[in-house]
Order: sequence, then structure tokens, then C-alpha cells
Amino acid sequence: MSGATLLDPATASLIMFGGFFLLLALRVPVAFALGLACLPIFLIEDRLTPQNLVQETFNAYNSFILLAVPFFLLTANLMNVGGITTRLVRLSRDLVGHFPGGLAQVNVVLSLFFAGISGSSTADAASQSKIFIEAQRKEGYDDSFSVAITAVSAVLAVIIPPSILMIVWGGLLTVSIGGLFLAGIVPGLLIALAQMGTVHVYAKLRNYPTYPRATLVETIKAIGVAVPALMTPVIIIGGKIFGWFTATESACIAVLYAAALTMLVYREMDWKGLHGALLETGRLTGVALFCVGTASAFGWLLAYYQIPKALLANVAEWGMGPVATGFFIASVFLVVGCFLDAIPAIVIVGTVLEPLAKSVGLDPIHFAMIGIVSLAFGLVTPPYGLCLMISAHIAGIRIVDALKDVFIMLIPMFAVLALVIMWPDLVLFLPKLFPPGTL
Amino acid sequence: MFAKLTRWYAQLLSWLLAASVAILIFPVSLQIFSRYTELIPSYIWTEEMARFFFIWSIMLGAMVGIREGTHFVVDLWPAMNTRAQAALRLVASVFVLAFAVVFLWWGIDFTRFAFNRISELAELPLWVIHVAWPLAGATWVLFQGEHVWNDLRTLIRGPAPLP
Repeated sequence: MSGATLLDPATASLIMFGGFFLLLALRVPVAFALGLACLPIFLIEDRLTPQNLVQETFNAYNSFILLAVPFFLLTANLMNVGGITTRLVRLSRDLVGHFPGGLAQVNVVLSLFFAGISGSSTADAASQSKIFIEAQRKEGYDDSFSVAITAVSAVLAVIIPPSILMIVWGGLLTVSIGGLFLAGIVPGLLIALAQMGTVHVYAKLRNYPTYPRATLVETIKAIGVAVPALMTPVIIIGGKIFGWFTATESACIAVLYAAALTMLVYREMDWKGLHGALLETGRLTGVALFCVGTASAFGWLLAYYQIPKALLANVAEWGMGPVATGFFIASVFLVVGCFLDAIPAIVIVGTVLEPLAKSVGLDPIHFAMIGIVSLAFGLVTPPYGLCLMISAHIAGIRIVDALKDVFIMLIPMFAVLALVIMWPDLVLFLPKLFPPGTL
Repeated sequence: MFAKLTRWYAQLLSWLLAASVAILIFPVSLQIFSRYTELIPSYIWTEEMARFFFIWSIMLGAMVGIREGTHFVVDLWPAMNTRAQAALRLVASVFVLAFAVVFLWWGIDFTRFAFNRISELAELPLWVIHVAWPLAGATWVLFQGEHVWNDLRTLIRGPAPLP
């Protein structure tokens, strides 16, 4: 990072960002656009060659922490093919089916359970779209509402622990992953509550149907059946917090546990289902993480020219306090989240904003939660909102048609985000219960 | 003939992809169990082995993703007719192919560079991992080339009749 560079930072960033956005507009895949935008610079600079690009992608993948991603995806896929999901649907229905908009409430509560077991929102959106959209259509829900609520509730998976985003953030910016897991619980529950409230209002206004109340015996039975599955979050989060295993190992434990449940307890797994789950996991791992590699190369090059520092030099002069900085950080992540997947966004933007957060004295866990919640919302904001794209695709409607309902549902969620920013203890009080050094 | 070949090759890659995801579980499980039981010694190569298979599963997934068209794109274009879509895809294909060539060309250097090196713990030859890069480049050229071929046909002859 020392010595003279041929290009000055302004030209370099113009080439990189200009190239990136141009290629995106031409519908070049995001991962490839990120890599290609770096290419001219690797060719121009004497000290760099495109082999640096290859090397940087290699360095990004050669990470034991990211290995948690395929494990969490595999857990989710095993749950779906192995009958765990069906049992959780049953339990959710017995718990909240009698609320107005019963099926949509079940949709949210299932996402909550799912979030506690899997750490991947895309897996949640994919599986729940298949379960709920057709069923809600049959019961007379509007398609745009069904798509919106399925996509919006899927974001819980990365806010409620375990979460792929927390593992990536913790690994990259050296924040305690156990601490992040604990910090996500309260905001996650609040967002789920906000969503259930939204469904309630919709159901009252539009007369959406409801189920008869389940009897106490039925509910207890459903809980009994689902208990082994519901133990998963306890094992994963407990194991991480008490230091029994690392984040990646805890994800592996989740896989083993889900596999054992589906094969030994529920006995619904066959070889075909297993192969399908493995292949589906590999596909999603490949496309999602390949992006991380080229995004890392992009971020590396930005750092080479010290562009983030130059950009933030101005921001630091505004003299914002912690709350204003919190809102600034959230809005940066919200805007970036519209265009980029969450993991590359953490790699590029998280590292850029970290010094700013530090300079105003934001707690690293608080900073991380502002970023992660904002990026989670980015999963449903166009043009690049992965969960929304998946749900709309499965429902067979255009993304544009679901947008209005998505934005209505986002309003109460933004209120939770604002609460997280203004009231740090909301996220910090759980991690603070543990003496420093144990997490 | 060509289409059959790529289909067969994609099947092979998919199979390897599923296998490498499955294999990932072993070293990590071994690592956990060896720490808490006396039954198996704690091997030092488990983490390294897990990372190597992880790298391969990402690269295999990225290869298959090009054939299946599942790499994430940001779509800002309105709905268009088939020909215009094919034309737009061809433009994007040029860039994908360029990137594939970069991975192929500099990936070969990258692999050659690792020929005489071995990994720190398991002492595996490193080129076994590095070779995933040029292989990915070559595979993308093949798969994207197939898309280009199909789009060119659509552009010239109009949309292919549905079988």
C-alpha cells in the first residue's frame, strides 16, 4: 500500500464505480461486474497484475469462517426435505392461526422459528414461498400481499441468531460472534411483532380469513412434536456462547442435528431428498459466495488507493454525534443494500465505515447490528432484493407489483431500526449480561 | 452433439458439487468430536481439508451457475421481445467471456506458481486447489459459449419453436 501509484484515487474510483454500474446496467452478473470493474486498473498499474485478482478471490474463499454459509444453507434444505418445516408450520398454526389473517400470521411465526435454526434469508424465502404463496392465494389473499409478507418475514433469518451475516461481520471486523448472536434476539423479536401487527391491520381492512382456535391439547401436542427441532437454536447459540465450539463448528452441529432429526426421529429423508438438498446447497453457495470473492478484490483495490479514507474525510468534518452517525450508517447500508448482496456489502462498506463508527464511540456490536438490520431490509428492496426476487419469481408476478405492499410493511420495521439506533441498550443489554471476555 | 456434451459435463460438475458439500461435513465434525472424546486423536489437517473442499464447492457452484443462469443480476430493463432480449444477453455475454478468459489465462499462471508448493498442515500439493481457477475459466467459456450460440440463433432466425 505504499509508494506511488500511476492513477490518482479519483480516477481509480471513477473507473471502478463507473465500470461496475455500467456493467450492472448491461445485466452482467454482479460477481462478474465487480471483477471486471477492477480489471483495467490491474492492467494499468505497474505493480499490479490480474493475478492479484485471482489471488484475492482465493484469499477470500480460503476462510474457515465463511464455511458456515454452506452449513446453514444445508441445514435449511435438510429441514425442508426432511419434514421439520411441516411440523413447525403445524405448531405455528396452532399458536397464531386464530388471529386475523391466520395464514399470513403463520407465515411470520414460521419465519421466526426458521430464523432460529437457519441463518439464511434466501433459504427461508425460497422454502416459504413454495409453502405459503399458493396456499394464501387459495384462501383469497392478494398476490402482492402474499409475496410481500413472505419476502419481508424472510429477513428475520439474518437478524435472529444464528445468522450468516453476523458470522461474516464478526469474522471480518473481529467482533464477538456470540455477542452479535445475543444482540440480534431483541430486535428480531420486535420486527416479528411489527410484522404481525401489520398483518393484523391488513386482515381487518381486507377481511382476510382466520382459522378456528386450536384446542390446548392440540397445541401441546404440536409443541411436543416440534420440541426436538426447536432445540436447535439452543444448541447452536448456547454452544457458541459457552465456547464449546466456533461459529463454523456450530453451523456444522446444526447440520448434523437436522440430519439426525430427519433420519432418526421424523424418518422422512430418502437418498433422493438428501442429494437434492446437497446440490441445492452447493448451487446457492457457489453463486452467493463467488460474489464475495470478487467483492473482496474490489474492496482490496479500494483500500489500495485509500479511497474509503478519502470519502470519509469529508463525513468526519460534519461533526455528527453517535445518533446522527447511526442514522448515517443505516442510510448508507440501506442504499447499498438496494444494489448489492449483503455479504459483499459488508466486505466493502462495513470495513469502510468502521473507523467512522469508532470515532464517534459506537459500540462495535451496536454498529454491527445497525449495519446488519439495514442490510437485512436491503434483501427486499429493489432493484437487488434477493428475497423479494425469489418470492415474486415463485409467485409468478412482477417485482414492481408487490412493491407497494413491501414498502407499507417496511414502515413499522423502519421504526424498529430507528429504535435500535437511538437506544443502544436494546441490543447491548443481553451481551452485557455476560462478563467481558467470556463471549 | 455439442449440447449433449455440455449437458453431460454439467451433470458431472453437479455431482461433484453435491459430493464436495457432503464431504465438507466430515473434517469439521471430526474436529469437534476429537476435542470432546478420547476415541479419535485430534488431527491437525481437519481445518485445512475443510477449507480446500469449501473452495472447490464455491468454484464448482460458480461454474454450474453460468450454465443455469443463476448468477445474480440486477435487472432494470423493461419487458422486451425475444430478439431484443437475445441481443442484450449477447452484450453481457461478451463481458462474461472476457472475465472467463482472465480466470483462464492468469489462473494458469496461478496454478503453475503453486506447482512446487505444499500446504502447511496436510502437506497437500497446492496446485490441486489453484487449478480450480483456470478450470472455472475454461468451463465458463464453454457454457457461456453455448448461451452465445443459442442467442445468436435466436437473433438471426427468431425465437426457436418450443419443442
